[in-house]
Amino acid sequence: MPTRDHLIGTDAVLTTSQRRAFDCVLDLIVPPSPDGRMPGATDVDVLHYLLESEPASMPTLRGELNRLETDAQLRFGAAFADLDPHARQRLVNSLRLDDPHFLRGLALHTVTCYYQHDRVLAALGIEPRAPYPLGYEVKSGDLSLLDPVRRRGRIWRDAGDGTAGPAA
Amino acid sequence: MTQAIADVLIIGAGASGAAVAWSLADTRMRIVCLEQGGWMNPADYPSTRRDWEPRQWTDYAISPNVRRLPADYPINDTDSPIAIANYNAVGGGTILYSAHFPRFHPSDFRVRSLDGVAADWPISYADLEPYFAHNDHHTGVAGLAGDPAYPPHEPPLPHVPLGLMGETMGRGFNALGWHWWPSDTAIATREHEGRDRCANLGPCNTGCAKGAKSSADVTYWPLALRAGVELRTHCRVREITVGANGMARGVIYYDEHGVEQRQDAEVVIVACNGVGTPRLLLNSVSPLFPNGLANRSGLVGRNLMLHPWGNVQGVFDAPLASHYGPQGSCMLSQQFYETDVSRGFVRGYNMQIVRGNGPIATARAAMWNGQLPWGEGHHAAFAKLYDRTINLGICCEDLPEAHNTVTLDPDLTDSNGIPAPKITYRLSDNSRRMLEHGLAHGAEVMRAAGATHIDAVGPIRMAGWHLLGTARMGSDSETSVVNEWGRSHDVRNLFIVDGSVFVTSGGVNPTTTLQAVALYIADRIKQNLANLFD
Repeated sequence: MPTRDHLIGTDAVLTTSQRRAFDCVLDLIVPPSPDGRMPGATDVDVLHYLLESEPASMPTLRGELNRLETDAQLRFGAAFADLDPHARQRLVNSLRLDDPHFLRGLALHTVTCYYQHDRVLAALGIEPRAPYPLGYEVKSGDLSLLDPVRRRGRIWRDAGDGTAGPAA
Repeated sequence: MTQAIADVLIIGAGASGAAVAWSLADTRMRIVCLEQGGWMNPADYPSTRRDWEPRQWTDYAISPNVRRLPADYPINDTDSPIAIANYNAVGGGTILYSAHFPRFHPSDFRVRSLDGVAADWPISYADLEPYFAHNDHHTGVAGLAGDPAYPPHEPPLPHVPLGLMGETMGRGFNALGWHWWPSDTAIATREHEGRDRCANLGPCNTGCAKGAKSSADVTYWPLALRAGVELRTHCRVREITVGANGMARGVIYYDEHGVEQRQDAEVVIVACNGVGTPRLLLNSVSPLFPNGLANRSGLVGRNLMLHPWGNVQGVFDAPLASHYGPQGSCMLSQQFYETDVSRGFVRGYNMQIVRGNGPIATARAAMWNGQLPWGEGHHAAFAKLYDRTINLGICCEDLPEAHNTVTLDPDLTDSNGIPAPKITYRLSDNSRRMLEHGLAHGAEVMRAAGATHIDAVGPIRMAGWHLLGTARMGSDSETSVVNEWGRSHDVRNLFIVDGSVFVTSGGVNPTTTLQAVALYIADRIKQNLANLFD
């Protein structure tokens, strides 16, 4: 597996223009929160996640990024990454309106990567750890809530098979 | 290569195969079990790793067509609105099940007599009651005695925690005057038979790293192995062979190296469940059984029942810590379980309260259904969903219909070249009306519990967990495949002990009933050893 620096430095995975467009799209999907508490998707190394966990998604992603670049040039005469944020949003919206599957895979992979990142979990107040071995505390619950159910009595149906039980 | 003859050969090491192996072990017969999967290593389960959530969609997916592990065989389920779920390993489907463990009701065995539909079982709840109790003990069932929806029984372990989420739903059910109860659950809530207690890891449905969830690899199999049963893993059975006398002779299988082997046996027991069992029988053709073994009735593979499933998700205003605790097990409602024809359908359904999703599943599901936007509204929308959702599953009783089938796909094969199963399945009008009723009433109780946003969806495609009815039992060889104690009407040393023998499906998760039936059949085999083939 190539390192992240290697990927970015040589454009071995995405071309420079694809990479610039990629970062812009991530920022459209999950931007940083205005108060700075939540990082944006560009802060959690989505590309590395894709290469490690979803490599089969890369050909589709490259095609979608190329489509963005082509349409940006056709409609605005500029690279997608050089458009102002509102123009980028409008362009993506129009393409997704035409094809609801456009960038859907990237969006799902992005949130999959994002919501397991230490910084994100910490910001949400979730311990960044595997469930095992510590597990979690869950309250047993107030069984007095069952009193009305008990008072209403038996609801199972007699099948005439001799199964013993209180009268219905 | 031919192995030394076995007294009993069991095919499949899942819930029913494990129970039968353990029960028959006390006969001191030579028992061999062949399983196409291997042993699970709990240290490898997703809950031991940081990426525990997404693995439910990859190597721990419920569909073999998604997992595509070496032990899996493909299933053509494109002609069904419900996709097939299974797992191929020692423990079978119990590796991934939620361990929600309610029993069938007495009425489930008498649907023809009570409601005029389908057929009665040749056995009753009363017949199975002692086997339910055995199973509760050996698997380690948690629950709370006194549920008025059931005949009296005493779960041996304390119920799984309700949590704030369970209390919230309990109040909702109470507001409507509906039944609810902490569900019977196959999870050790305290140390049991050498197994550790549940630590509320959460993702039971990708395997339990604590060993607290009662999958068959940690319940019956250790006992059966200590009693002398031989279990051979990574052995895929191609066909059951028959002799000139019409009796099963044994099987031909592929070992872990793909080498063809033969294992002869005096008794053959099939435990591959509602898809694997008819597939094996239909693949076992011979001059005596040109349409598949034990299939003179023509019913092998027919009457497939899948439990059409609906899901109602409620979103609440306050945090509920709802994704902590055993994921699929908390409580149930059987308010609409027994027949009331004024509802527009016969039979009924179980409501299973399922905990909320972890952060990734929350985000993915919400992005998929449009609740989680891109851009500046993303964080606020996520905060309104995470830890504030409760799910309610609707498990509908599916009545047997001959046109719902498991057949052999003409083209698709597994890695050994064995023809794969093909599913043809349609929801009946009765099931559709039942599901609509369940979704509407699931939404009603969510509102009563305080949900501010509700989504009700069904049938869920990735929900074909319960595979039933494709080699059903009965006393008439014209209308059933096996008799009332699991013996083939056509082949007197061939038994079937899994979900395929179910005459009807009930409206609850079937595993405890399936294991009770397997234990019942094993006991009948032991009682009839002297004249087993008469």
